Amino acid sequence: MSVLRPLDKQPGLNTATILLVGTEDALLQQLADSMLKEDCASELKVHLARSLPLPSNVNRPRIDLIVFVVNLHSKYSLRNVEESLHHVDTTFFLGKVGFLITGAAKADIPARGPHGFSAAGREGHCSIHRNTVVRLARTYRSPLLFCDLEVEGFRAAVAQRLVRMLQICAGHVPGVSALNLLSLLRSSENPALEDV
Amino acid sequence: MEKQPGEQAAAEPADSGAGGGEGGSPQVAGAQTARPEDRLTLLLRLRAQTKQQLLEYKSVVDANEEKTPEQIMQDKQIEAKIEDLENEIEDVKIAFEIKKLALDRMQLSAALKKNLEKINPKTSVLMDNMKHVLKLNKLIMKSHQESWDLEEKLLDVRKKRLQLKQASESKLLEIQTEKNKQKNDLANMENSDKIKTIQQNLQMEIQITTVIQHVFQNLILGSKANWAEDSAFKETVLQLEKNLTMI
Repeated sequence: MSVLRPLDKQPGLNTATILLVGTEDALLQQLADSMLKEDCASELKVHLARSLPLPSNVNRPRIDLIVFVVNLHSKYSLRNVEESLHHVDTTFFLGKVGFLITGAAKADIPARGPHGFSAAGREGHCSIHRNTVVRLARTYRSPLLFCDLEVEGFRAAVAQRLVRMLQICAGHVPGVSALNLLSLLRSSENPALEDV
Repeated sequence: MEKQPGEQAAAEPADSGAGGGEGGSPQVAGAQTARPEDRLTLLLRLRAQTKQQLLEYKSVVDANEEKTPEQIMQDKQIEAKIEDLENEIEDVKIAFEIKKLALDRMQLSAALKKNLEKINPKTSVLMDNMKHVLKLNKLIMKSHQESWDLEEKLLDVRKKRLQLKQASESKLLEIQTEKNKQKNDLANMENSDKIKTIQQNLQMEIQITTVIQHVFQNLILGSKANWAEDSAFKETVLQLEKNLTMI
């Protein structure tokens, strides 16, 4: 099946699965390692994917949280995420989807550093404007996180947040549901009454 | 493309995939501890988890039970229904926002209370901030009051102006009607037949008198009498000169 649905499988006992979707494989791997280093009462499973749809021949557990990783330096990552979003069922967006933006910290570094050209696909300036991703998150009514995934400390912090979110989305925290969390995560910048 | 997942178990990696669906908690508890307290903790935690997950599934089932009406309704009814539903959504959203605000306020005040209990209240920056906030609030209230008073005054002035305008409007209307009446009366008067006959008579009389005047003038001139000598005579002659059409 080409569309991911949130509740079509039985949940694994004491298991929470997160799916990270993004084009930057190294960053995703590092983030996955940081998340697994967090100590958490439930068992964590991290799936990494470049894009959706996922191949249907693999037997995978129920996915509790999807995080789309966008790098502000590459338009390809944004386009990839936008295309992958079509393969996600709408019921997923009731709190089980999040957007993670990276690369915002490098905005002011000039294009030619002392090391010459940076790695392929990454320019020094942000090719995606911050407002684009903010609008994307607002359209899909999903929480938006900013993090510089290259720095160890920030990565650990966002890993901690994602682990907590994952626990809530998997139903491991009594009294808080994913939808509840979604409402609580709305900051005063994007109130829920907007775009009625 | 999917990479293999990285797994980590809080307990020893038991086959959670195989155990899924069973109430097989002894398997998940694994071989790490044989202590019954840990197992009990795990059991309780699993119970809470399962409860929460059951709640989520139940709510999804309940949400899916609401069916859209199958019968064909008229457009207006559908629109009315849509509006009702949208209003409901609005109300729920607003109520939720209010509750969230109240909750935030409660949390904030609770945290503040705890903080105040810890810190010596007289010397902290927090108290200064709060005092400043109070001062500003008072100022705000005062300026609100002032602006409200000014607005009231403005409103009164505007009302008076409106009243004056209306009075002047009515007066001008009266004047206009009076003028029109006068004009109409005048026109009526000028067009009435009585006046025409009177005017004709007048003209006739004037002509007759003019003829009589000329006759007398010619009589006097023909008699070759010296009319300039006698003042009474002179007056009579001069009176005959009067052009009656000019009167």
